Amino acid sequence: MAPPWLDVLDETIGACVTHRRPDLEARLREKRAQQLDPKLRVLVVGESKQGKSQLVNALLNAPVCAVGDDITTTVPTFVQHADTPSAALVRNASARGSIFHTPTERIAVPIEQVTKQVSTAHSQDVVRAEIGIPRALLDNGLVLIDTPGVGDTRSAHTASTFATLMQADAVLLVSDATGELTSAEMTLLKKVMEACPNVTVVVTKIDLVPSWRTVVERNKALLARAGVPAKLIPVSSALRLRAAKTGDQRLNTESGFPELLACVQRDIVASADLLARRAVAVVASSAITQLVTPLREELTAHDSSRTAETISTLQEAQRRVDELRRRSARWQNVLNDEMADLISDVEYDLRDRTRKILREVDKTYDEADPAIGWDKFEQWLEDNLNEAATTNFAWLMERAEWVAAKVAKNFPVYREDLIPGSVLPDDLLEPVGKLDKPKIEPFSIPQKLFTGLRGSYGGVLMFGLVTSLAGMPLINVISLGAGALFGGKSILDESDQRLKRRQAAAKAAAQRHVDDFFVKFSKDVRDAGRHIQRSLRNHFSTLAEEFQETLLESARSAKRAIQDDQTERERRLREGRKELDKLISLYKRVQALGGPVMELSA
Amino acid sequence: MTLDRVVWSMLQEALAVYRDSPRATGWLRSHVERYTEPVRIAVAGRSRIGKSTVVNALIGDEFAPSSSFVWYRNGTEPRAHVFSGPGRPHEVQVGRRGSRHHVEIGQFDRADRVVVEWPSRSLRDIVLIDTPSEASPEQVLGDADALLYLMRHVQNDDLKFLQAANDHPIARVSNVHTVAVLARADEIGAGRIDALSSAKQIARRYRRDVAVQPLCQNVVSVAGLLAVAAKTLREDEFAALRALASLGREELEDHLLSADRFAGEQFPLPMEPAVRQALLERFGIFGVRLITALIRQGFDTQVKLTGQLVQRSGLGELRDSIAIHFTERREILKARSALLALDVLFRMEPRQNARKLMADLERVVASAHDFRELRLVAALQAGRTKLPAELQTEALRLIGAEGATPLARLGFEYEADPHEQREALLDALVRWQAIAADLHAPNDQRRAAQIVVRTCEGLLLPLS
Repeated sequence: MAPPWLDVLDETIGACVTHRRPDLEARLREKRAQQLDPKLRVLVVGESKQGKSQLVNALLNAPVCAVGDDITTTVPTFVQHADTPSAALVRNASARGSIFHTPTERIAVPIEQVTKQVSTAHSQDVVRAEIGIPRALLDNGLVLIDTPGVGDTRSAHTASTFATLMQADAVLLVSDATGELTSAEMTLLKKVMEACPNVTVVVTKIDLVPSWRTVVERNKALLARAGVPAKLIPVSSALRLRAAKTGDQRLNTESGFPELLACVQRDIVASADLLARRAVAVVASSAITQLVTPLREELTAHDSSRTAETISTLQEAQRRVDELRRRSARWQNVLNDEMADLISDVEYDLRDRTRKILREVDKTYDEADPAIGWDKFEQWLEDNLNEAATTNFAWLMERAEWVAAKVAKNFPVYREDLIPGSVLPDDLLEPVGKLDKPKIEPFSIPQKLFTGLRGSYGGVLMFGLVTSLAGMPLINVISLGAGALFGGKSILDESDQRLKRRQAAAKAAAQRHVDDFFVKFSKDVRDAGRHIQRSLRNHFSTLAEEFQETLLESARSAKRAIQDDQTERERRLREGRKELDKLISLYKRVQALGGPVMELSA
Repeated sequence: MTLDRVVWSMLQEALAVYRDSPRATGWLRSHVERYTEPVRIAVAGRSRIGKSTVVNALIGDEFAPSSSFVWYRNGTEPRAHVFSGPGRPHEVQVGRRGSRHHVEIGQFDRADRVVVEWPSRSLRDIVLIDTPSEASPEQVLGDADALLYLMRHVQNDDLKFLQAANDHPIARVSNVHTVAVLARADEIGAGRIDALSSAKQIARRYRRDVAVQPLCQNVVSVAGLLAVAAKTLREDEFAALRALASLGREELEDHLLSADRFAGEQFPLPMEPAVRQALLERFGIFGVRLITALIRQGFDTQVKLTGQLVQRSGLGELRDSIAIHFTERREILKARSALLALDVLFRMEPRQNARKLMADLERVVASAHDFRELRLVAALQAGRTKLPAELQTEALRLIGAEGATPLARLGFEYEADPHEQREALLDALVRWQAIAADLHAPNDQRRAAQIVVRTCEGLLLPLS
């Protein structure tokens, strides 16, 4: 008939499978196989140099484990029954890998050499040593496991000790009598108790210490204070080995080993079933506790991780909608400001350019005669105005593109088509009317003649009258000469005045023309600016609307997802409760096996 | 100017700068005083490791262990003071309990520290501080210039303590000077007669261990009980031991199998159980075994026996280590403690007119050659700086890892005359100059070589 603990253990393993905890499952399966195995593993642990190996040797009366003054035990040594003495080193077949689940190979070595091999085998790949010797003590499946010291500087040793701990049915914790249990040893003891509750503390080397009885008393007090229900047995391996050599029974009794052996027989070998129940109870309840904890967390937590995710999606979507709103106010401001700046800048630029042209015109007609080469001038003016207009306009376009880029930068998201291709109106530049030619009166020969005659009249009369006093006739050589001089002068004067008039007229004409051009063109530029502004605004608001729609949609879908989750969560909650109840009832059954009583409430 | 003088003048200057602050003045005065004192050595380790035993062995007198910091310093007559809280220390009696001296601190349940002045030749060059086992590294090293750390086998807890000690800002200038002691060497080999030699072997192994080496300057093994016994062996005890040795070897061995047997009722000699119990407590079962064996081997007078015990217990080696690593380096250890004290002061009370001193401090810490040597020793031992193996040994020797005297640095086992020293020195100097100038060598190697060259030049100065 299967023992009762087997059912409980199997059920716990089943629970681990349902809860998808392969690690716990593997651990429990290992325990199960180990409990079904008739072998009883007794682990000897302790800090380094406490006499663990010597204890094993003394228990068996055979030097199977390496002992020495420096640190000698480097790998766990398994000592079990065999009809003929034999020994083997077990090493990892693959060069790297953990202690578990790697293929291993056994190398048989002569039993006399195994201690030497173990203590010198510093190569990492030796996992353990296995020794078989014929001893009555080991006859009923007892396996003694000697382990490397805990707390040694070579941490690999400590790790392998803890790895073996999981397989132990009972533990002998070794501490020597030269000092009471240290805090490190108490920590170790508690750690051991978690994995295996059957612990006996062995105080060694009592032959060396005169006051070992006080140490034992103090240790007992320490154990009692820590609430550790462990037995404490003082022994001396040296005396035992000596007694075995000399066959001195009294010495054997003094060594304390008979009591230890009796304890091993009584508490470990004879009560294998109780041990199994206790061990299973401890392991199974720790496994169930591990299963219950996340389950309970899931039940109590208000939002499971998935809901939290959907909620965060929703929050993100809403955040982005808000962001978009905030940002669209910003980009509109940017657009308005930039365009206002742009238009005023462009207008100023245009005025500046035309003024420069006018200045040029003034300079030219301060000297030149418009009557000569007016056509050429007209051409020049037209060219210059055209150039100013084109430059100015190119500038406008450039700035407009820059504004578009700037607005795009203030836009919440980036897209390829964010910057509009063209923002310019098609019917932009209408030609300005032709330059009016100023009225230019040519100074004709009859006019010159008339002006000359009018000037010479005064001269002839003036000088004729003066010379008549000297008895000369009114018309004489002198008066005629003066008349010619006067006539010439007035012709010159007249033509100079006419030139001035022509120049003023030309300047006025040019001024008028440039003004016309400016008024017309600045209107055009302004229109173009406004057009650009309008088209940019339209472009960007369309984009913004698109974005907003996308975001709102994702927010809506997130909201829907949350609602879906709610129902899903309720279903899971119900299931979880049921699962938890099941686990708790299983836990109670485990407790009934006789493990330590731990509180586990729903 | 030597480091010693530089630091001394800095202390005086700081006293002048901070003369209006009573707290700073108090702090500085205590350090000025400390500067001229012998090296302070803290003895630390886990509980029941034998700290008091080692202290007793070093003093050569037995004191009952105490639970607070106990300072032992040289004095003209035995006196003890208890420092408890603020205020003046109280003088207390030093009495006797059995074979041990006992400081009567009964009325002070919480003593900060007990200072015992004791006339002893061994305390001429050192001040020993026995620390309680629960003290933190900061507490232990706060008042000490160097550290004796006691342990059985090197365990992780011990390494953690030493690392913490070197982690602390106190260790910034240079590593804490530490000698690790494998105490209770007699227990290592389960009390066999050859336990001490195997303990020595283990100590040698730890000296080469990469985890241990950077944390201490040396590892020695000491059998504390035996060492104390060697220093305090009394006439009656010697007589009792001789009587024991007169028994047959086999017979005695049977009775020395365990402590219980030795102190038990059935004993072939007419010797009171109380006497045997007392012997056990004084020497341990191992001590009794070893001493009787030695007496049988012919060390049958007290003088001969004492000499053997001092040598075998490892006490001699421990003393040599203290001499090489602590007392010979008194100046630099003191300078280091004083610089750290100044650093603490500048941090606690920064001042405008202390700016120059702060700069001086920086400069001395960064550039004083002695500190650079110490840092190079630490770097070489921790493997931060790598040199080819034979060069590394020579570099370590030259920069004083094995002793700071010129002879030790040059590796002379005997008293070489100046001419010979000069020859050896010039040879080393030329070789190291070549390494320092080798463009193909890695940077850290060249820098290490430069320090060695500077050391050699310094050594050459008094010889030329």
